[in-house]
Amino acid sequence: MIRFAIACGSLVALVLLLDMGPLGAAGASITGTVKVTGLASNADAVVFVVQAPGTFTPAKPAELDQLKMQFVPHVLPVVLGTTVRFLNSDPTHHNVFSPTNEKYNLGTWRQGQTKDYTFSKCAKPPCAYAQLCLVHPEMEGFIVVLQNPFFGVSTKEGRYQIDNVPPGTYSLGVWHAKAKSQPKPVTVEAGKSAVVDFTLAR
Amino acid sequence: MRRKSIFVCGFARIALVVLGLLATASTARAVPAFARKYQTSCQTCHIVFPKLNAFGEAFRLRGYRLPGETEEMVKQPPVSLGAPAYKQLWPQAVWPGEISSAVPLAVNIKLADMNSSSLNEDGTVSTVKNDLQFPQEVNIFGAGTLGDHVSYLSEVTFGENTDGSVSVELEHAHMGFDSPFGPEDLFHFRIGKLAPNVVDGFQEMWISTNAGIDSLFGYNPIGFNGGTGLAEDVSPAPISIPRIVRGIEGYGIIKHRALWVAGLANGIGPSATNASGRFDGNSAKDVYARFDYKIGGMGLDGDTGGQPVPEKNWRDNSLRLGIFTYRGDGSNIDFSLTTDLGVRRNIQDIHFLRTGLYANLFFQDVNVFGAYLHGTDSLQVFNPAKAVLLSAIEPDYHAWFTQADYLIYPWLQAGYRYETLTPADRSVVSLRTGVVNVSALVRANVKAMVEYQRDLREGDNHSLNALLRFAF
Repeated sequence: MIRFAIACGSLVALVLLLDMGPLGAAGASITGTVKVTGLASNADAVVFVVQAPGTFTPAKPAELDQLKMQFVPHVLPVVLGTTVRFLNSDPTHHNVFSPTNEKYNLGTWRQGQTKDYTFSKCAKPPCAYAQLCLVHPEMEGFIVVLQNPFFGVSTKEGRYQIDNVPPGTYSLGVWHAKAKSQPKPVTVEAGKSAVVDFTLAR
Repeated sequence: MRRKSIFVCGFARIALVVLGLLATASTARAVPAFARKYQTSCQTCHIVFPKLNAFGEAFRLRGYRLPGETEEMVKQPPVSLGAPAYKQLWPQAVWPGEISSAVPLAVNIKLADMNSSSLNEDGTVSTVKNDLQFPQEVNIFGAGTLGDHVSYLSEVTFGENTDGSVSVELEHAHMGFDSPFGPEDLFHFRIGKLAPNVVDGFQEMWISTNAGIDSLFGYNPIGFNGGTGLAEDVSPAPISIPRIVRGIEGYGIIKHRALWVAGLANGIGPSATNASGRFDGNSAKDVYARFDYKIGGMGLDGDTGGQPVPEKNWRDNSLRLGIFTYRGDGSNIDFSLTTDLGVRRNIQDIHFLRTGLYANLFFQDVNVFGAYLHGTDSLQVFNPAKAVLLSAIEPDYHAWFTQADYLIYPWLQAGYRYETLTPADRSVVSLRTGVVNVSALVRANVKAMVEYQRDLREGDNHSLNALLRFAF
């Protein structure tokens, strides 16, 4: 039984590695901080590898919930082609639409129901999609479509971490709903953690 | 053409003038709702409230926004009325805005111990000793911003009358549109009942005395030979230069240092006998304009040019110079007067022009400021029964004041103001008034004042008042 479990676990790990593309093995991490000047919080900046060799296919749908009248998470980065499952966890009806890029309106639905949308039309990642609710105009979230799965989202304190990045030299970009910064180069070596800090301004 | 005025002896005229002087007082704005919003002290913006320091003046001119304001400076996060991404949908969606998360209300309360002496027309002297006007007035403010480009201010004043009743006055109610286009702070627009920027500054926001500058704001230009003194319950209220208008105003800051103002106002209200229900006495509108330039110190928008600001935030070594003008139309608005022979006449101020200069000098702990005003009127006298024009004159008058404030300690200020008014009717002695004020901040939001005001021509006309004002 134990051997069977180990075999299954190994199989799952192998599938995950294959999912991450040809450079998924022997990766290292990129860490750092993001400082967003002028804002009370440093959260919700997406730090990402702008372009990694290969193609990347998402394994399963990502989820964006509408909970307590908010989009949760507030910012959701996904790989190009990912299907996002929009869930309504509130006892009130919610709607999801986006006025950006190809624009879509998924309609309005009640608690417990979901709707799916596949983000496959982004011609040049990153593509940021504002998520809005027609029923509650103050609600706002973002889905950021990226070329590869090597990304992280900053915490309130500004810390971020990107794991399993294959060794190589990349351009590291950052996206934030209210602030900007230029990409920075980063070299990742196997078994070593690279550190890159960003300061964003409006 | 000049005609002899009504029978009023010189002394009695002086008494009338000074009674009017003592009856009017400045309004004051200090809005603790801002202190709550930014979690900051009143002294961030005020020297001795309501008098503003340079930072506070920039805050006011920028539409109640801090110079260089960022989200992290706002300690009470606003409530969103629409996600910013809705801007992309306009005009298919409402443009997103915000309201403050806490009700943006503030209260000012003024208590006054009033003592005065005034000469009556019959030569007797009336005195008031220790009239405890507790409270004299209560002001309720609502003020703040509604997102990036909209601001507002409202003020309702409750004054307690001697019979126990309460009078209510809506002093301010206006909305501002701040930098809706163009470079930041170059264009601001305000609409509503507002203190016009043609006078705001040297009236409401620089003055920390209880007494207002009546020589500039309280003059009544209506008279058979032109105005004789200050207004007293004249209906409709005549215009010296208005403290408050109903109107639309544009203003902006050019390259941190220059201020432009242009406005359109209703003007004089209808006469007492006009029951039309309208706010404007006629269909013509008044216009006004102002231009300022500030040399040295902090920019009018709070810009410091990268230089450190003085550690003592009331200091702003600078000189600000300005010119202003107001042109009004009072045609078809009747003011009723009775001649010396008891005959009733109507007077109209067909059009009037007020032009002035002012200066404001800050040096270390001293602030000297003042203004000069020249006014001309075009008065026409009518027989009210037949609506026949009887005479017309073009009188002019002038007034000026200067005030020096010295901050002894950050909590203690002494000030002296001299003001004079030469009425259009040259048979009346010029008004000359002195005001001495000592203001102490018991706390940043609690002010105690002792103020002595005296008619410099007649020793029996004076007042000595103690006041306590607090805001929360």
